[in-house]
Amino acid sequence: MSLDYLLTILKPMLEGAQATILLFIIAIIASIPLGFLLTLAVRSSIKPVAWLAHSYIYLMRGTPLLLQLLVIVFGLPLLPVVGDYLVLDRFVAACIGFILNYAAYFAEIFRGGLLAIDKGQYEAAQVLGLNRWQTTTKVVLPQMFRIALPAVANESVTLVKDTALLYAVAVPELLHFAQTAVNRDFTIVPFFVAALIYLLITMVLTLFFKWLERRMRFE
Amino acid sequence: MAVVEVKELKKSFGPLEVLKRISFEVERNEVIAVIGPSGSGKSTMLRSLVHLEEVEGGTIAIQGENLVLNGQYAKAKHLKEITSKMGMVFQQFNLFPHLTVIQNLELAPKLVKQRAEEGYRKRAMDLLAKVGLSDKADVFPSKLSGGQKQRVAIARALMMNPEILLFDEPTSALDPELTGEVLDVMKELAKEHMTMIVVTHEMEFARDVADRVLFMDQGEIVEEGSPDELFGNPKKERTKAFLSRTMRNRSAE
Repeated sequence: MSLDYLLTILKPMLEGAQATILLFIIAIIASIPLGFLLTLAVRSSIKPVAWLAHSYIYLMRGTPLLLQLLVIVFGLPLLPVVGDYLVLDRFVAACIGFILNYAAYFAEIFRGGLLAIDKGQYEAAQVLGLNRWQTTTKVVLPQMFRIALPAVANESVTLVKDTALLYAVAVPELLHFAQTAVNRDFTIVPFFVAALIYLLITMVLTLFFKWLERRMRFE
Repeated sequence: MAVVEVKELKKSFGPLEVLKRISFEVERNEVIAVIGPSGSGKSTMLRSLVHLEEVEGGTIAIQGENLVLNGQYAKAKHLKEITSKMGMVFQQFNLFPHLTVIQNLELAPKLVKQRAEEGYRKRAMDLLAKVGLSDKADVFPSKLSGGQKQRVAIARALMMNPEILLFDEPTSALDPELTGEVLDVMKELAKEHMTMIVVTHEMEFARDVADRVLFMDQGEIVEEGSPDELFGNPKKERTKAFLSRTMRNRSAE
C-alpha cells in the first residue's frame, strides 16, 4: 500500500467528509433550538399543543430514522397532487429529515433536564420576587442546559455516525466515496480511512463537549 | 398593629385537613417559634404566608394589607407587593447552584429592584461579612458545607430588605455540629429586632430566643405563650405529651 494510493483516495473522501460535516452542523444548529421549543410545547398548559408535541416525539422516536429519510426523499414526491411540489434537492431533504428526527431526541433530553431541577429552585425564585420569565431564563434554563449537557454530547456523537445514512438516499458523503473506492480498487483500505475520519470528527466533538462541561461545572 | 395577622386559615390536601381554622398574630420585632410534631401543618402554615401554598379559606394580612381576605386572594400585582415584604429561608437552602455565592445574593435585587448596580455589591459583601462568609464570595455553593449554605441563604433573603423573615426548619437538614453556626446568625438577627417566624425542632432555640412559642398539632394551634409558660408550665395535655416526648429523645441522644 503506497502513500500515493492513500492520497488519491483521500481527496474524494475528504470531499465526502465535507457533506458529512455540513449535514452535522446544519442538523445540530437547527434541531437543538427546535427540540427546546418542543420541550416547551410538551409542558404547555394548552392541552392540544402538548398532545401534538407528545405525538410528534413518539412518532419520530418510534420509527427508524432511515425510514423517515426514505419517506422525505423518495416518498413525499409520490403523493398525489402535492407530490410535485415536494421534490427537493436530496441533500436538503436529508437535512430536513435529520432536523425533524433529532429535534425529538433533544426535546426528550431537555425535558429530562427540566424534571431534574428541584422544586425548591422555583420556590426560592418566587419568594425572592422573580417573575416567571426571570425564573426561567436566570434560574431554570442555565441549570437545565448544564444537566442536559452530557446527554447532548452523546446525542451529537450519534448524529455524526448517523450521517452515514445519507448513503441510503444517494447523497455522496464520506461513506459513499469509501465504498466506491473499495469496489473499484478491491481493497479494504478505504474503509479504514473512513473509520479514521469519523473517529477524528467525533474526537474533536468529544473534546469540545468535555471542555464545555468543565467550564460549566459550577465548582 | 400586628405585622402579621392570620385569621381562620383553612387548607386541605384531599381529605386531609392540614390547617383547621388557624389564627394568630405577630407583632413588629417579635420572634415567634413554631413547634410541633411532623405533619402538624406548621410548614404549610408558614409557606402559605408567602403564597407557596394556596389556602382555601381565612385571611392573611401583612402590615395591614390583605394577601387573602376570607379565602379571596389579592390581585397578582398587589399579591407580589405584599409577599415581597417577607423573606424565606428553606430547610434545603435552595441556593442557585449555577451561581457563585455573591451572584446568589445579587440576582434578585438586580432583577427585581432596578437600582444602580454598585450598591448591591457593597450590600452583598456587608451581609456576607455579617454571616461570616466574606471569603466565600466567589465560590460556588457546591463547595460549601450545609451550615455555610444556610448562612448564604439567610444573607440572600436579607438582600431584599424583608420586613419579616420566615424560617422553615432551617437547621433540620444540617449535621448536628453545624446547627450552631446557623442558630448564631439567627440569634444575631433577633438581637437586631428582626421580625421572625421560625418553624423549628430546636427546643433550646425556641426557649432561649423566641418571644413567643406556638405549639401546633394536627392542623391546630394547640397552645401559645411565652417560652417560660409553654416549656415551664404547659397547660394542654397534647403540649405536655409532645414536650416530654421530645425532651426524652433529646436526653437519649
